[in-house]
Amino acid sequence: MLMHTDRMGATAGSEAGRQGQPAVQLDGVTKRFGNSVALHEAWLKIQPGEFMTLLGPSGCGKTTLLNLVAGFLEADGGEIFIEGTLVTETPAHQREIGIVFQNYALFPHMSVANNIAYGLKTRGIDRKQIARRVDEALALVRLDGFGDRKPRQLSGGQQQRVALARALVIKPKVLLLDEPFSALDKNLRGSMQVELKQIQRELGVTTIFVTHDQGEALSMSDRIAVMSAGRIRQIAAPGDVYRRPADRFVASFVGNVNVLAGRLVERRGEVATVSVGDMRLEVPAAPLAKLAIGDDVDVFIRPEHLAVTSGRTPGSLCGTVTTQVFQGDHIDLYIDITGVARAPVLLRAPGIAALSSCPAGADVGLTVGSDDVVAFPPEAREP
Amino acid sequence: MKRSPANMALRWSGRILVAAILLFVLLPGIVVAITAFNDRAILAFPPQAWSLRWFWRAFSYSDFGRGFWNGLTVTLWASSIALVVGAAFAIAIHRYNFVLKSLLEGILLSPLIIPHYTIGLGVLILASQAGAGRGFPLVILTHVLLVLPFVMRSTFISLENLDGRLELAASSLGARPGRILLTVTIPLLLPGLLSGWLFAAILSFNEFTATLFVSSQATQTLPVAMYNYVREFADPTLAALSVIYIAVTALLLSLANAFLGLGKILNVDAH
Amino acid sequence: MIKRPFLGWFVSPAGLVALGLTAAMAAVFQFSLRVYIPGSLDVGGFTLQNFAAMLRPLYALAFWNTILLCFETAASTLILAYPLAYALVRTRSSAVRSFILIAAVTPLFLGEVVRTYSWMIVLGNNGFLNTLLVKLGFVERPVQMMFTAGGVIAALVHVTMPIMVIMLAAGLSHIDRNCEKAAESLGAGPIRVFLTITLPLSMPGIVAGFSTAFAWTFSAFATPQLIGGGRVSTVSTLIYQLGFSSFNFPFAASLSIIGLALSLAVIALLKQATRPLERLASAT
Repeated sequence: MLMHTDRMGATAGSEAGRQGQPAVQLDGVTKRFGNSVALHEAWLKIQPGEFMTLLGPSGCGKTTLLNLVAGFLEADGGEIFIEGTLVTETPAHQREIGIVFQNYALFPHMSVANNIAYGLKTRGIDRKQIARRVDEALALVRLDGFGDRKPRQLSGGQQQRVALARALVIKPKVLLLDEPFSALDKNLRGSMQVELKQIQRELGVTTIFVTHDQGEALSMSDRIAVMSAGRIRQIAAPGDVYRRPADRFVASFVGNVNVLAGRLVERRGEVATVSVGDMRLEVPAAPLAKLAIGDDVDVFIRPEHLAVTSGRTPGSLCGTVTTQVFQGDHIDLYIDITGVARAPVLLRAPGIAALSSCPAGADVGLTVGSDDVVAFPPEAREP
Repeated sequence: MKRSPANMALRWSGRILVAAILLFVLLPGIVVAITAFNDRAILAFPPQAWSLRWFWRAFSYSDFGRGFWNGLTVTLWASSIALVVGAAFAIAIHRYNFVLKSLLEGILLSPLIIPHYTIGLGVLILASQAGAGRGFPLVILTHVLLVLPFVMRSTFISLENLDGRLELAASSLGARPGRILLTVTIPLLLPGLLSGWLFAAILSFNEFTATLFVSSQATQTLPVAMYNYVREFADPTLAALSVIYIAVTALLLSLANAFLGLGKILNVDAH
Repeated sequence: MIKRPFLGWFVSPAGLVALGLTAAMAAVFQFSLRVYIPGSLDVGGFTLQNFAAMLRPLYALAFWNTILLCFETAASTLILAYPLAYALVRTRSSAVRSFILIAAVTPLFLGEVVRTYSWMIVLGNNGFLNTLLVKLGFVERPVQMMFTAGGVIAALVHVTMPIMVIMLAAGLSHIDRNCEKAAESLGAGPIRVFLTITLPLSMPGIVAGFSTAFAWTFSAFATPQLIGGGRVSTVSTLIYQLGFSSFNFPFAASLSIIGLALSLAVIALLKQATRPLERLASAT
């Protein structure tokens, strides 16, 4: 297992059943479809009120994990706990979870109010209280007065709010969100994200959010579980996932990154030194533990951590600008560094000065202005 | 989905129910199959002795042979005419607006709800008023009316699934309308046209009620010959014929399922 | 003006066919208003006598019986076809799927005669069911099943089953499974999910299937004729008798017209009646 900074996991293991128990806990949950393993021994603890994001490309197992927590799928191995209670065998309708689907799945034959009231009716709550709580839920998602409409009369954003209200009105133990923003257009998406995050924080509801969009994951989550090929690759706060990715997959999936060819020069405790051309960089030593001094390594550097220097300075790289792309608030420069990077290196120059100072064809020097550089063994060596 | 004991009970009772209903659907076929091999001449169950004699009689009984060839003639003509007429019309209603469009469409789809005997009666009266005899053209015309809606529907579904931009692309590459039709539209519609034709052919071959009204002794199709046989004889010959019928139909449908995907043709696949 | 290449070529043949169909229907209508001359194929002048005659108990009863028969058949078919359609759409095993599909759809292509004949063997006094019942000791003597309305309905249900399964399955396959999952997550057990979500959402398929089964049963001839054996008279068997035994085509034509009008009216009523049903589902 490639776990980097699972702080909760290290200490909370023995506390299940006591006060500080996790809201959701997965102990080695495995799910197979035929011969393929959709989810391989997932271990995960989510704290009460936490916003946990499952991030990964399609087919990575994130939706399978969500369906297992919801009870729509039966695990082939491992145990699932919700608020300390074993629910592995509990049917979905007894788990008390709320779920918002990608397509919202509002009941088309019911009014908005009846959609929201559905979960309350199944609980046998009396009419007056249902009416009151439906009104509260509508107010929460700012849809007062929309109760009598049919779902098809609402816009996409409104439908999503109804779905959210329907899931929240039952006061679920966990709120599950399955790519809820992907059907919205870009402008609406941003405001809905802010609104959802606000409601989630206000209610303090434990939330599992599934997405393939790293921007959404980084901006909304308390912690992110990055997944690939049925495995959880890293569980950490957004900043840590971005700055200290646990492996090559996480480093390249979350954010843009340049991969440069380097060499392991020195290893001292937690820190190792690698060389890229004439440049020396300090990186975490852990991923390189199996390599010998002098071995090849791949060095991962974010575009915004590279800077252009005027002329050649010692300890810098030199290359040729191939393309410049004007992005408004910054300039993307693509720089050819022969012998170090196979593809042109992307550099993000703030402001618009670089537009004139670094035209295509210009020879420039490059330096790294950050400690957030990581290195991994070359692809073939990766276990 | 998770299965508590109650859910398991629900699931198993559902399975047993479905199995029982399937038995109801399959029972007549099974009974007929057993009867067909019964040696005795009366319809009794279970058979005491076995033989294949009713199969030989089914093959040698001249009305069946003639009915089969008559039916094949009618079917091939009717379904092919319906294919050309129905597909062309479906393309026209899918693309164009023209006068009386919805009226024409309504008229041509109406045989789906008009009882077959009404249509048979109408064609018969029409023919007798026009002084025309009860020949093959009459039977074929009746069958065209009856199977046309199915060809139209199947072509229309294919047209809905056809990416209209392909034709625009062909047009932008300089193809004239006739060329687009022959090189883009029709090849892409082919599976839909084929399944529509197959449906029409099977329905036409089995059509009975309307055919009974418009056919004569000389033009009677297999189902009419079979009906007349049941009214006269009570031996298992028809059972033998039914077995062949069921076997051939099931075989054709299995092939259609394997190659074309029956679920897709019938529009019952989950989305 | 948008160009409409080949419009004439596409529409004219269909127009001719539509003309033929309209002429045939007009012929039926015209004949229904003519005087019957016994012993002759020719008809006399115009009259409303044929329609007046239909008020006689014999014919009124035939209409009433036919409509009742159609209702009973369509309702029984719906009840039996729904579980099959549900299983067809929901089973995860493709082998089971194919089996149900082939088993349910094959009878559609066998035609009425083959299917009715096979039911005669099942229902006859020496047939499969009676032999089984006698051998198992449930009854002493064979039960009369041929020539009864019950026998006709059993066979008609079998005839209308495939089209009902297809229409219900088409409806069921278009239901968003996430709606059922959402209901489940909101605390609804399997039965509640079915009654409040699946069933109401499959209403369009139910209406389409029921109407079609109704119309088909109305149109059925071989089944009531052979299994009813003259003792179960429906509009279709009457028309055939009138047409081919007494050559009273004018009266047969008027029966057809009224039959068609009635079946259309019933189907239209059905569509109206099921609308409040769909609304009702949302209130529970």
